[in-house]
Amino acid sequence: MALRGVSVALAALLALACVRGAERAPARELRINLETEPPTLDWNLATDGVSIIAIEQLMRGLTRLDSELRPAPDLAESWEVSADGRTYTFRLRPGVLWSDGVPLSAQHFVDSWQRLLAPATAAEYAYFLFGVKNARAYNAGKLDDFGAVGVHAPDAATLVVELDAPLVYFPALVNFMVTFPLRRDLVERFGERWTDPGKLVSLGPFVLDEWRHEYRLVLRANDRYWAGRPPLDRITAYMVQEGSTALVLWEQGLLDLVKIPALEIRRYANRPEYLRQPLLRGYYYGFNTKKPPFDDARVRRAFALAIDRAQFPELLRGGEQPWPSWIPPGMPHANADLGLRFDPERARALLREAGVDPTRLAPVRIVYNSDQTHKLVAEKVQSFWRDNLGVRVELENREWKVFLKELQTDPPPVFRLGWGADFPDPDNFMNLFTSYSENNHTGWVNPHYDELVQRAAREPDPGERQRLYDQAQRILVEEDVPMVPLFVTAQNFAVRPRVHGFRPTAMDLYFFEQVSAE
Amino acid sequence: MTRYAIGRVLAGVIVLWVVATLTFALLRFLPGGPFDKERSLPPEIMRNLERRYALDGTLLEQYGDYLARLARGDLGPSYKYVGRDVADILRDAVPVSLELGAAAFALAVAGGISLGLAAGARRDSLVDRSVALGSLVGVSAPSFVIGAGLILVFGLGLQWLPAGLWEGPLYAVLPACTLAALPMAYAAQLTRAQVVAVMEQDYVRTARALGVAEARVRRRHVLRNALLAVMTYFGPLLAILLTGSFVVERIFAVPGMGRFFVTAVTNRDYPLVLGVTLVYGALVVLANLAVDLLYAWLDPRIRVGNTEK
Repeated sequence: MALRGVSVALAALLALACVRGAERAPARELRINLETEPPTLDWNLATDGVSIIAIEQLMRGLTRLDSELRPAPDLAESWEVSADGRTYTFRLRPGVLWSDGVPLSAQHFVDSWQRLLAPATAAEYAYFLFGVKNARAYNAGKLDDFGAVGVHAPDAATLVVELDAPLVYFPALVNFMVTFPLRRDLVERFGERWTDPGKLVSLGPFVLDEWRHEYRLVLRANDRYWAGRPPLDRITAYMVQEGSTALVLWEQGLLDLVKIPALEIRRYANRPEYLRQPLLRGYYYGFNTKKPPFDDARVRRAFALAIDRAQFPELLRGGEQPWPSWIPPGMPHANADLGLRFDPERARALLREAGVDPTRLAPVRIVYNSDQTHKLVAEKVQSFWRDNLGVRVELENREWKVFLKELQTDPPPVFRLGWGADFPDPDNFMNLFTSYSENNHTGWVNPHYDELVQRAAREPDPGERQRLYDQAQRILVEEDVPMVPLFVTAQNFAVRPRVHGFRPTAMDLYFFEQVSAE
Repeated sequence: MTRYAIGRVLAGVIVLWVVATLTFALLRFLPGGPFDKERSLPPEIMRNLERRYALDGTLLEQYGDYLARLARGDLGPSYKYVGRDVADILRDAVPVSLELGAAAFALAVAGGISLGLAAGARRDSLVDRSVALGSLVGVSAPSFVIGAGLILVFGLGLQWLPAGLWEGPLYAVLPACTLAALPMAYAAQLTRAQVVAVMEQDYVRTARALGVAEARVRRRHVLRNALLAVMTYFGPLLAILLTGSFVVERIFAVPGMGRFFVTAVTNRDYPLVLGVTLVYGALVVLANLAVDLLYAWLDPRIRVGNTEK
């Protein structure tokens, strides 16, 4: 009896499954995997890689990066910079409408930047605009009058920005989501709920249709998009956390575009649906330069020279590219010739010169946040240092936030970290190791390095900029070596053949405006 | 009986207060805060954030605020999901976990009891041995192994069922089976052991000797008495299943609340951790209360004991 019931149920399920199969792969709809819930769609407040994927489909900024990662006109049709490099005047594209039909005005940028910088908003990325005149003081609550902050809209089509000091990459900065224009009227009307479906008004190729939290986000084509309606009618973005489940759903035809988990890359690498995109994301090991033995630059150089980067791609298999300097390949002013290369002889000689006897040295601790990839890398580095220098190395892993707290309060002798580009300018990477950077956990201070990085940020001439960055990189990765760059990472995708025109960028951004699905 | 129930409810409230206080304290012992991220923030921005979420007071002030809010039924805002309250998040996630958990519970109870009964009634038979083997696998294999196995066979191999997502009853089959596997196996083992023990009781022999039909003996005398011990397990089990499972929800991409038991902690989303812990605590308290009342109904001795007091 029970058995018969089970077989009837299974037959019914099978029939249902066949019905479902027929309605799969709806035309002009793209089904992607966001992996997790976007913490917010409020572009002033968003900080993470998931939110940005959705926001980039909904919104546009003053500029946009072209395929060479140079800032190109977007909502700003053109811009000019004053002779002293401190004032930018952006002319807005005429005829741009929000999805509710309201015309875009320069005031929408002023409103957005005011909200971004207001202390009460508590926007984490307010510091993106700290280069704007008086912005930092306003954010810290030391200045109450926003009129004194360097952003103004003399008329509806013109935005004038005054900077504290020249920043040659400013046009690249305003392609970032936190600087997108904002409808103050709607934020005031709906409060924190202004990003809910039915309330959110946007001006990009798509508008928000549905948001089922922790499950899926549905975007639909924006008929009012100034560059014309996109080829897709709908994007359904699911939040499937488990990479292998997403891959099975992709195999079942329920998802069109997924990232491939590291362990599976080898199986997919030869398939036509496979796509690899190198990223502007560096992976490095930092030293605590305040404590022995790494308070001696010779010791740090020795440890850097003992690492054979060429072994990482074979170990990790995610498309990693060994890279001995800090500005990643693909970014302007990167230089493949800089950095310390694997040289165990020289490494041992340097240790001797520093008076370090490897057999007597207390075990060196490498601390990383718990993760399979980080563990593999740490074990590899452990073997390099043991075999090439004869030192003992201990590995310790920590939960992510515990690890971050430790970096801020008492950095371990050796730690791992990564850095991904927020905007495609070397300043975004080089600034990290200045003495005034909150993200420099090495304790290393070099006023000459600070000065070179500051000068390069102001330098309009590309040749001179190259020279300054080369000089700064030489200090960072060849002489003082507070950190060792190991490799740059890549993203690996499986894309269904029905999807055309998907081109990810090295910034790990995706634009579905040009994508079509049969 | 009414006084007994009121006393139990009051005890439950005290239990929840202790749970809230302990969780609050333990969370603050954890190193790292909600706004510590890969990119460190300038100090002025950190101050703005702490002011916005009222994290700038002393711990005692924060605890006082929290309890005052809780008394008003306000679980507070999430630190991770901007503009969403913990209550909003739970309102979205709890129904999904309830659906999935109820399905798994029904499966575990019905399957576990009937298998245990079948096995216990025919000791050492082929049925008994198969149930023993099956329940051993169910008890010892972790849910991610069972889930992955089911996906492999029914999702990837036979292509009968979706490997994940939450679009209708069909999508609940694999996660419900995965979630039910362990409690079903455990319930089967428990039931079998009880049935075997009860079958040897004098009153069963007496019933048989009096010529009562075997089916009636099993239903009225064996099952009912064997279930008493099994019931105690169902209370906490119901609470566990209804609040979702991190592993099962993750494997099958089910948008329930189980995920928050882990992600809220890794995000240091204090109000959300407290929210899910309290929901879980309340369910455990309620389920245990329900079991105690059921117990009284199933076992006349308990009722008699109470009325005599």
